[in-house]
Amino acid sequence: MSDQATFNQPRTGASIALRVLLWAVLIVFAIWFLLPAYVVVGTSLKGLEEIRGGSLLALPHELNFSSWRHAWSEACIGVNCTGLEPYFWNSVGMAIPSVIISTLLGALTGYSLTKFKFKGANLVFALILFGCFVPFQVVILPMAVTLGKIGITNTVYGLILVHSVYGMAFTTLFFRNYYVTIPDELVRAATIDGAGFFTIFRRIILPLSPPIIVVSVIWQFTQIWNDFLFGASFTTGGAQPIMVAMNNLVNTTTGVKQYNVDMAAALITAAPTIFVYIIAGRYFVRGLTAGSVKG
Amino acid sequence: MASLTIKNAVKRYGNVEVLKGVDIDLQDGEFLVLLGASGCGKSTLLNMIAGLESVTEGEISIGDRVINDVHPKDRDIAMVFQSYALYPNMTVAKNIAFGLEMRGVPKAERETAVLEVAKMLQMDHLLDRKPGQLSGGQRQRVAMGRALVRRPEVFLFDEPLSNLDAKLRLEMRTEIKRLHKRLNATMVYVTHDQIEALTLADRIAILKDGEVQQLASPAEIYDQPVNMFVAGLVGSPPMNFIKSKVTQADTGLVAEVSVLANGVEQPMLLDLSQQPADLTDWIGREVIVGLRPEAITQDGQGASFDSDIDVTEATGADTLCVLTWNGQEVMARVSSGYAQIIEGTMAFSIDMSRASLFDPKTEMRLS
Ligand SMILES: Nc1ncnc2c1ncn2[C@@H]1O[C@H](COP(=O)(O)OP(=O)(O)O)[C@@H](O)[C@H]1O
Ligand SMILES: [Mg+2]
Repeated sequence: MSDQATFNQPRTGASIALRVLLWAVLIVFAIWFLLPAYVVVGTSLKGLEEIRGGSLLALPHELNFSSWRHAWSEACIGVNCTGLEPYFWNSVGMAIPSVIISTLLGALTGYSLTKFKFKGANLVFALILFGCFVPFQVVILPMAVTLGKIGITNTVYGLILVHSVYGMAFTTLFFRNYYVTIPDELVRAATIDGAGFFTIFRRIILPLSPPIIVVSVIWQFTQIWNDFLFGASFTTGGAQPIMVAMNNLVNTTTGVKQYNVDMAAALITAAPTIFVYIIAGRYFVRGLTAGSVKG
Repeated sequence: MASLTIKNAVKRYGNVEVLKGVDIDLQDGEFLVLLGASGCGKSTLLNMIAGLESVTEGEISIGDRVINDVHPKDRDIAMVFQSYALYPNMTVAKNIAFGLEMRGVPKAERETAVLEVAKMLQMDHLLDRKPGQLSGGQRQRVAMGRALVRRPEVFLFDEPLSNLDAKLRLEMRTEIKRLHKRLNATMVYVTHDQIEALTLADRIAILKDGEVQQLASPAEIYDQPVNMFVAGLVGSPPMNFIKSKVTQADTGLVAEVSVLANGVEQPMLLDLSQQPADLTDWIGREVIVGLRPEAITQDGQGASFDSDIDVTEATGADTLCVLTWNGQEVMARVSSGYAQIIEGTMAFSIDMSRASLFDPKTEMRLS
């Protein structure tokens, strides 16, 4: 679009001025939004002396990763001075199965809601959609009772169950809206060819789904990794996910406030979601806007 | 190969009756075309034969097996869809072989079958491509190949040519006709294109609002339409309908019309003596005389008369002349050699043996 504008318009003084102004505004906003990130990264690389002595915005004198090491393997969280490492793996062990399960379930429900319509399918979809608007807080108590009855309170499995169930509303919405754009005649042709519900899903529908799978995975991973409330409610001590542990790390004060360690901990905690966005982010928008599949 | 019998088939969606009791009996190897306007229930009927839609009432059988409750895959049918419905993620070869694979045919056998069908349809060079890399005509061929490879008892086609351009459509029409001859299979073909219907069908079933109007050979449909709907649907340009009173003349029964010739309205008597129907009850009453444009042609055979020509439209071999009878437009078809006259008066002749008479109230053919 901007190319078109430059092609079509003669470069008058006014248009150049407008362009300069546009860039200036964009740059100011970019700095505005990047500044906190810069401060966090910069502070995590400074020693405590340097933080106390210098300006918040000054560049670190040297790349000092000791606070990262400390946050990862030595910092005290409550009374356990293990660093974030075990909690990081807790979160990995919770997020990966939850993402896989909720995405797969969303794909299956989206598929049956669009391609194997049954009586009341629209009502079921409306109810599932309703699940997207139910706040976390509402489900905490019934969920706690359920987990207790099943006997998986304070375990990673409990969190996997919670996140799979809660995430299904969103993943179903994603997949349903994607699958309505796939022509029904594909399923009809495959039915005549002799394929059943799961064969059609596996051989025809799933191979068409990567764009929406990427959307679902990014969305679910971010939600689950960044969740604090479920983690804090259903787990204690060593079973906690990293998001809760990071909070406790920052709140555990042993004398001096170690800003550099806090910053490093925050960055370690945020790293996986940033990583997922970098890897798959460009497919995200593409998947959200993906249109019908042309045979 | 097998016959196909549809007995009093009814389809209802809620309270809406989409098919109102369809009866069709199809011989082994016959080519049936379902012709009708959009929304009249053609696809619904085809989907019921395929098993993709349930049968609300009635009975559908292939051979002597009732298939109402048989799963689509066990009906021994194949279907070609309007959108082709090729599996986008599979190569052409995989697309064609999918049905065989689902039926557990061994790989080597599948490959042989795919190659044979691909050769038959002249697309063996396309086997490794994905549907997205094919042109419309090529996709159409793949869709045909997918149906052919299983050698089913009954082939079903749902407007398979409607997404092709005119030239390709003609080519594929011939190809389908050739395939039918070669395979001698029972085929049901849905279209809203009357020319496709006339050229392909052994028999045509004309549907309107979920009811079969006429089930007959193309020639019978064309020459002896059972009602004015059928008469108007088939043939291009459509049949002329002229309202006129039946009277007794010395020569027998005639229908009177006034023709504009040399700028003056002149009476003309259409001879009804060759009509098979007994018209004595109709003397003194009005009927609708249905005349196809080609029954009104340059002077030669039949009763001759003069008529002013309002407009002419050249179509190549023939020229269409618009005449004025009873103050209405009537289309005549003459050989292009005769139609140098753009406007003026010319002698025409009418072949009344090809006329159809209809009841103006019921719009049914008089017989
Ligand atoms: N699933 C359905 N629910 C309700 N009405 C339907 C459904 N499918 C088709 N119809 C109706 O049935 C009629 C016939 O449809 P169809 O067989 O597709 O027509 P055609 O193929 O002749 O154009 C249409 O009026 C259509 O609206
Ligand atoms: Mg249709």
